[in-house]
Amino acid sequence: MSGGAATGTKPATVKARADLALNDEFLRKAVKYTTEKLRSGKKTAMEQHGNWEEWRERGRQIRLHTIAHLDYYLNLFANNARANGVHVHFAESDADAVRISLEIARRVEAKSVVKSKSMVTEELHLNHALDSIGVEAIETDLGEYIIQLAGETPSHIIIPAIHKNRYQVADLLSEQAGEKLAPDTKILAGFVRKKLREKFLEADIGMTGCNFAIAETGSMVLFENEGNARMVTTVPRTQITLMGMERIIPSWADLEVMATLLPRSATGQKLTVYMSGITGPRREADGDGPEEMHIVIVDNGRSLQLGDPEFQELLNCIRCGACLNVCPVYRHIGGHAYGGTYSGPIGAVLTPALKKNVAEWDDIANASSLCGACSEACPVKIPLHDMLVYLRRRKVEAGRGNAVETAGMKGFAAVMGKAGRYKAALKLGRIGQKLVVRDGGIKAKLGPLKGWNTYRIAPSIAKETFRERWTTLDQEIRAGLAEMAPDMKARMEQKLKERGTKGKEGGHGHGG
Amino acid sequence: MGDNFGNGSDTHADRGMSGEGGVASAQASASHREWLAEMDAQSHAAQESFMNGIAAKLRRARVTEAPKHPYRGAPDFWHAFEWTLEERIERFTANFEAVGGHVVRVPDLAAARVFIAEKAAEMSAKYVIRQNEPELDRLGLEDALPPGSQVTVWNAEADMDGKARAAEADFGVVMADYAAAYTGSITVLSSADKGRSVSLLPTALMAILPVDRLKTRLGEIMADFDRAGQGNLPAGIHFISGPSRSADIENDLTIGVHGPGIVYVLVVG
Amino acid sequence: MKVSMFVTCLSDAVFPRVGEAMVRLLARYGVKLDFPPSQTCCGQPAYNSGYWEEARTSGKTLLQAFEDSDFVISPSGSCTHMIHNYPKLFENDPVWLPRAKALQEKSYEFAQFFVQVLGVTDVGAVFPHKVTYHPSCHGSRLLGVKDEPIALMEQVKGLELVPLPFAEDCCGFGGTFAVKMADISGAMVTEKVDHIKETEAEVLVGLDMACLMNIGGNLRHRGEKVRVMHLAELLEEGVKLA
Repeated sequence: MSGGAATGTKPATVKARADLALNDEFLRKAVKYTTEKLRSGKKTAMEQHGNWEEWRERGRQIRLHTIAHLDYYLNLFANNARANGVHVHFAESDADAVRISLEIARRVEAKSVVKSKSMVTEELHLNHALDSIGVEAIETDLGEYIIQLAGETPSHIIIPAIHKNRYQVADLLSEQAGEKLAPDTKILAGFVRKKLREKFLEADIGMTGCNFAIAETGSMVLFENEGNARMVTTVPRTQITLMGMERIIPSWADLEVMATLLPRSATGQKLTVYMSGITGPRREADGDGPEEMHIVIVDNGRSLQLGDPEFQELLNCIRCGACLNVCPVYRHIGGHAYGGTYSGPIGAVLTPALKKNVAEWDDIANASSLCGACSEACPVKIPLHDMLVYLRRRKVEAGRGNAVETAGMKGFAAVMGKAGRYKAALKLGRIGQKLVVRDGGIKAKLGPLKGWNTYRIAPSIAKETFRERWTTLDQEIRAGLAEMAPDMKARMEQKLKERGTKGKEGGHGHGG
Repeated sequence: MGDNFGNGSDTHADRGMSGEGGVASAQASASHREWLAEMDAQSHAAQESFMNGIAAKLRRARVTEAPKHPYRGAPDFWHAFEWTLEERIERFTANFEAVGGHVVRVPDLAAARVFIAEKAAEMSAKYVIRQNEPELDRLGLEDALPPGSQVTVWNAEADMDGKARAAEADFGVVMADYAAAYTGSITVLSSADKGRSVSLLPTALMAILPVDRLKTRLGEIMADFDRAGQGNLPAGIHFISGPSRSADIENDLTIGVHGPGIVYVLVVG
Repeated sequence: MKVSMFVTCLSDAVFPRVGEAMVRLLARYGVKLDFPPSQTCCGQPAYNSGYWEEARTSGKTLLQAFEDSDFVISPSGSCTHMIHNYPKLFENDPVWLPRAKALQEKSYEFAQFFVQVLGVTDVGAVFPHKVTYHPSCHGSRLLGVKDEPIALMEQVKGLELVPLPFAEDCCGFGGTFAVKMADISGAMVTEKVDHIKETEAEVLVGLDMACLMNIGGNLRHRGEKVRVMHLAELLEEGVKLA
């Protein structure tokens, strides 16, 4: 029952996977409905809470500070966790993390593992690895459990099974139940509650991810709504927690800020139903809680972002999924089209960024119109839309740009480098377009126009461009020019004076 | 609440290596302890290399002293935010009920006892598990519940299988250690006498909240944990903000997935 | 004071009436724009696709053209925002970097200039039509021009401004994205036009011809009669009607 990544059947390019998604009516409706619900939930929660921009900036500063001093805080966390009785492990690569986890499982002679939701364990394909040594890994988050039964990967960071309808879910669960279950949410959830209860109580290992790790007390924090994370950290004898090395915050005071930003950004809740701070295994006299607790700190490409001014801020991410919920591209293609563990805007940046070798990057960074909604939604102000451009640039710099596009861009530069050439190109274009212009528009689906004109009628080059008209226009304006009002003149002069004395002028979005 | 939430004389440093636990588990063996020791030694070495690697990438020497953290915690204006007691009760109630929880105000423990007994009768609850706390001793549920009911006290007897008792319980009864009105949350801390399972496994949760423990902001509660510091916190600190829920199937909300689907907070005083 | 026109390659070649409307509107307030002809394109298409060398080649024409200008005004939020990227684009070039920073400081989008610099919200226009407004992503989100166009439209007599559902959603243009990921882009613009139809507006107004060209193209493709106008065109026409 430990489903792994469903590879092999998925097409190889982002575009091809996106095409599949675009043709799946149910998927599109489901993703649209879910993201709209979550994003309106966030909007309401933000407005109700107030001063959202101040909180965002606070969240950003706390994360920036922690990452900038990661050697101090991660070290502090590890030492404090150990002092609390936790066995701390360090895994540089995904293979290391898997090796350590399997070794623990073997040593405690585990037959089954109950897991709460963890994106890191998805990254590591850990279920698959446990399966390979004969250990049953059971997802206990309702959505994760469903897709595990289906042998699929999550399509959304927060609501993993939105691509499945209730009939599909009923079919999957009926198989487990050995009887036909009605496609009714209450009945289906009731079955899962009962079924997983048994698993919780008999499992040898409880496995979790980690939302935040508090350095000063060596505590780990989990946010959830169902109660399964509490289950897997209370009932089984051994606990294994997988933690990205960047999931650190200094103190509980800082946790208040994260607890304010995360649930509101993810689902619009004031707080998730359960927020648990776990500090070490059970105390000797305690009646429950794991006897043995392990935390595996995972790098797997995260440290590659350190010292890189264009990507270090990526480590701010608190995995809330707000960027997915506002992304118009995600809304149309869903999570699987992204082809990796993480989807949406964060996935488009994280997946390549975690891999140093540019040759391994696919074209995921191209699946964006750079609208910036993600950066605006991010509670810790990661400039995701800028990072997508940096990824594209790095691909080009590594000589891995699309050959046709590269040639086109060279042409662009040649034409745009000098106004004279640009004017000549326009004249040529005006002549050439005579072949395809009808009623002032272009409908022909030829060459580069094919994609555009499938959905639109393209405009044509003007009979007289602005610059061709300028001399005439200029004369006309001069003739009837009004006198500038003195107060207006004063305003403009004031603006001139302010320049150079002010820090930054106008707009946002450049990291400061 | 004092500043030490720990249970005193645990030797945390070597408790992990004592591989304790029941009879005949792999973890009880000497070889297991040896393996854990080996892993810990490897971990120390790896830690140094990890941290050095981080400092190298950041192109500076290792930071070994606590750096100044000028943005610690919530924005300054937030610390001044506080509701009156009545506002706190009103807002806590509104928030908790908005997500499907129930809040009842009672004057004292006696009234709380009556309420819980009535609910038990109403819901045909037979098995009740409660924490081993003096207030809950005083609550006197044992005398008030309908005949045929059974009250188990957490960890009160040796060889008791607390988890199983909690799993079969209809009601779990706990004292809330704190609550935050702004988010509609109660907080429960674990200890030898306070099992995590008691607020998690039963079908319904009854949490008794003395009104003086109800704060406005989460940060007021967090401050206690920061003050207590490493070595003085319990294994489990749980914030509970309503009944268990999920919207994973077609965005359709379902209450009571793994944790209690019915949660009552009795505000006392 | 030298106030210069940054017409943008799109307005220059395809929508010259937009540039002209802007020139005329400003002239009413005594703002005489000059037009340095060595300008070509801000370089956005190359920048966004990661071809920064080519973007610099194009961008330098702007840096040179506006060297002596005090104010540079453009009818495009995305092109103005592109200039805000110049300090990054030229960060490794000690010769061009100071000029990049200088140009950023003096560049304004049209509505931004009217409201923030001139202090004008009422241009005395009359435009008795039902209008809906699409806030282009770069202009509104990244450049921060959110209130200014609304302020200008609210003062237009007879104009009924109908809110566009999910207005903040991208129209799907994204430059080469519309060509490279044509079907996703097509889905996005289709959705945008669906929302426009819901408003039953006669006119769609915006601040960026790239978006308007994209949306207008789909409207025409679907045979819709909605008129697509740049805010400068709307105001200039409204002033003539007054």
